Amino acid sequence: MLQVDGLCKAFGDFRAVNGASLTVRPGDLVAVIGPNGAGKTTLFNLITGHLQADRGSIRFRGEEISRLPAHEICRRGIARSFQIANIFPRLSVFENVQVAVLSAKGLSRSLFRPTRRLVREETEGILDRVGLLNRRVDLAGSLSHGDKRILEIAIALGNEPRLLILDEPTAGMSPEETAATLALIRRLAREEGLTILFCEHDMEVVFNVATSIMVMQHGSTLIQGPPPQVRADPAVQEAYLGRD
Amino acid sequence: MRPERSLSPARLWAFGLWLALFLTPLAAGRFTVYILGVILVTGLLAMSLNLLVGHGGAYQFHHGAFYGVGAYTAALLITKTSLPAWVGLAAGPAAAAAAGLLIGSLCIRLNKLYFGMIQISLGSLLWILALRWYDLTNGDDGIHGIPLPEILSGSGPTFTFILLVVGVCLLGMHRILESPFGTTLRAIRDNPQRCAAVGINVRRHQLAAIGIAAFFAGVAGVLFVVLEGSVFPDMLFWVLSLEIFIMCLLGGWFTFFGPMVGAAIIVLLRTVVGGYTEYWTLILGVVLILLIFFLPEGLMGVGHRLRVYRHRAAGAPSRGADRAAG
Amino acid sequence: MEAAPSLASFLSQLLVGLSRAMILFIVASGLSFILGVLRVPNVAHGSLYMIGAFAAHSIATALGGHPAGFWAAMAGAPLIVGAVSLAAERLLFRHLYEREHLMLLLFTFGLALILGDLTKMTWGADYRSIVPPPALQGSLDVLGTALPRYNLFLLLVGPAVALALWAVSTKTRFGKIARAAAVDREMVGAIGINVSWVFAWAFVLGCVLAGLGGALVSPTISVTLGMDHTIIIEAFLIVTIGGLGNIGGALVGSLLFGVTQSLGVLVLPQFAIVFPYLAVVLILTFKPTGLLRSVW
Repeated sequence: MLQVDGLCKAFGDFRAVNGASLTVRPGDLVAVIGPNGAGKTTLFNLITGHLQADRGSIRFRGEEISRLPAHEICRRGIARSFQIANIFPRLSVFENVQVAVLSAKGLSRSLFRPTRRLVREETEGILDRVGLLNRRVDLAGSLSHGDKRILEIAIALGNEPRLLILDEPTAGMSPEETAATLALIRRLAREEGLTILFCEHDMEVVFNVATSIMVMQHGSTLIQGPPPQVRADPAVQEAYLGRD
Repeated sequence: MRPERSLSPARLWAFGLWLALFLTPLAAGRFTVYILGVILVTGLLAMSLNLLVGHGGAYQFHHGAFYGVGAYTAALLITKTSLPAWVGLAAGPAAAAAAGLLIGSLCIRLNKLYFGMIQISLGSLLWILALRWYDLTNGDDGIHGIPLPEILSGSGPTFTFILLVVGVCLLGMHRILESPFGTTLRAIRDNPQRCAAVGINVRRHQLAAIGIAAFFAGVAGVLFVVLEGSVFPDMLFWVLSLEIFIMCLLGGWFTFFGPMVGAAIIVLLRTVVGGYTEYWTLILGVVLILLIFFLPEGLMGVGHRLRVYRHRAAGAPSRGADRAAG
Repeated sequence: MEAAPSLASFLSQLLVGLSRAMILFIVASGLSFILGVLRVPNVAHGSLYMIGAFAAHSIATALGGHPAGFWAAMAGAPLIVGAVSLAAERLLFRHLYEREHLMLLLFTFGLALILGDLTKMTWGADYRSIVPPPALQGSLDVLGTALPRYNLFLLLVGPAVALALWAVSTKTRFGKIARAAAVDREMVGAIGINVSWVFAWAFVLGCVLAGLGGALVSPTISVTLGMDHTIIIEAFLIVTIGGLGNIGGALVGSLLFGVTQSLGVLVLPQFAIVFPYLAVVLILTFKPTGLLRSVW
């Protein structure tokens, strides 16, 4: 579904991503792990078009997308969440998701139909799936940090994505919130068959959830494979797990 | 913009007030009717600006340029060509929208402050043209005694016409803000990056919004011609553009009717205070600075807050209470 | 109008343009400096320029037309403007730095409205002018063209101000901190520097330049109300085409602005003022962020 090869991105002299490769097959729940500064967020920004790659290719469903702007990539079916709570603080929770649904259905530029009657079922359905339905009239800016991150995922779901990319979905969450979020991610992947690519710096979180793990170090791919294979890999153990 | 709500009391009141205003030419003197006309025209201009600033988050620093384009287009077509006056009046908003799209397409390539600076630059070019192209525009003197259609003669019919057009425009703007386009515009205001990530072409959306806002500013410009029978280069001057910012700030950025309320207060203040002192701008400056310090959300923003607190004090759940007023 | 402008009229127009560019540069560099450090387009900049001109006139008149009065005016007027801006910054402006930029802009607009009327109260609506000292009166004869000495004097002052500003922003501790604060305010605060005062002095320095521009321009034009409104637009344009916050860009922009206008007089006198604006539109169409790199 998604095939990344030899991707490079430098900021001045600093090579944030330096020859990263990644494969995501339909139905996969792929985790990218690596220490802070390994280039995970930059990699995601490159895939979703928020940054332009210096070299390398990104193919999505057979199409080269590495030169497309962010909104075009989104229209091809890749939706994402951001590491910092990236929501619309002055809109209601309902509207936050509705904006994404409207965009996915090509209704964003509709001028004379009242919004409040549009895509209501779809939007409430998504809020129900992530457990935010009872907060739908609240201002998004007034939510707790954990709920804002969940809302982020809900916004991404509003795009009816083929591939959902989550950038450290549990960052800054309490242990309870983390567990709930992971359960949500697993449910979305298993029960709804959604293909998900996410990144984490917490190892243990990842081994319990992912079907495939890619390990990043200094901007390049160390290995990608199923969890047991990654766990057993000597290079990974030395570079990453060996610290414990 | 709660999904459940349809007609709020505020909107019913506004509609009632609008209907009642049709009676003023019967009851009030010429001067009162004239001042009401000024308030409506200025308020429409301020509301069109707020479409971009309060709801769109764009740094539309020189909105007055489009007001002036609308007015000058109407004035020039009526005085310099043999076309019927109605054609001139209809062409004003169209020309303003075109100018909005043209200037907007240069501005939206950049963000925030640069956007504003470029707009001031380009708008000032229009001002200079109006001021210096003496053969066409009469320069500083402006164009006076613009002949209008028969039906608009006299202060009563003029006012009725303005009230009708402003009513239709308000309805249109309201529809637009409540439409998916408007919701998306507010989403762009809150977070343009996130909007791009949900597949919205942010720049194109903003450009369309600029065109729409410029159109309504052009309508206001045409109504100015209907009201005054003249145009001046000052309509294109940056000072006016910032003055209408004050009206939006005073009434409340994040409300629909706020800018109209702000315009009413500023116009009335100027009319009253201007009778006593020649230092009106000093007072305006002090009012502005007091607003910035003590009332950054404007009068209607505060009114909304008070309602929220009372609501909470009464033990009602706070759900949705923090919403910006529609 | 002659078919082809003679060398003499070309030279004298060029000098007019260049000396005008120097005034524009002094004002615009102050605006650009404030933009670079505080990120606020100071709408009150034009008013401070006007106050500089009026104050210069008052000082020169108070000293009874003595040549020293002129120099006292050139030094005193910027100081008065500096005091006004320091008061505005410390009493009001500094409380707004955390707020949205729109509010900062509107504050400077409020300040412009107030200062404009205060100028009217203090000095009235009369036209005034200042006589330069004897050494700067009359003309020099160059290649058969009479070039006014005062314009030549401005040609010396402009580069001197540019040099001084460059030295302040690159060689002094204040300049380095100010530039760092522009990029990352929190970091500068974290290393124990009082950012608030850095911002204050940056604002005052920019405003003093507006006052200096007003003082220097006073012998060449009639000083009157309303001179604030046009200069601020010109300064905005110059700063935008030069690259926001870039002092070198302000110099380039000023030269372009002053010279296109003065040479435009030779071609189309009635529309001379339009030429610089056209240049601005062309530049912004092809280089929307200005000719030189913006500091942002």
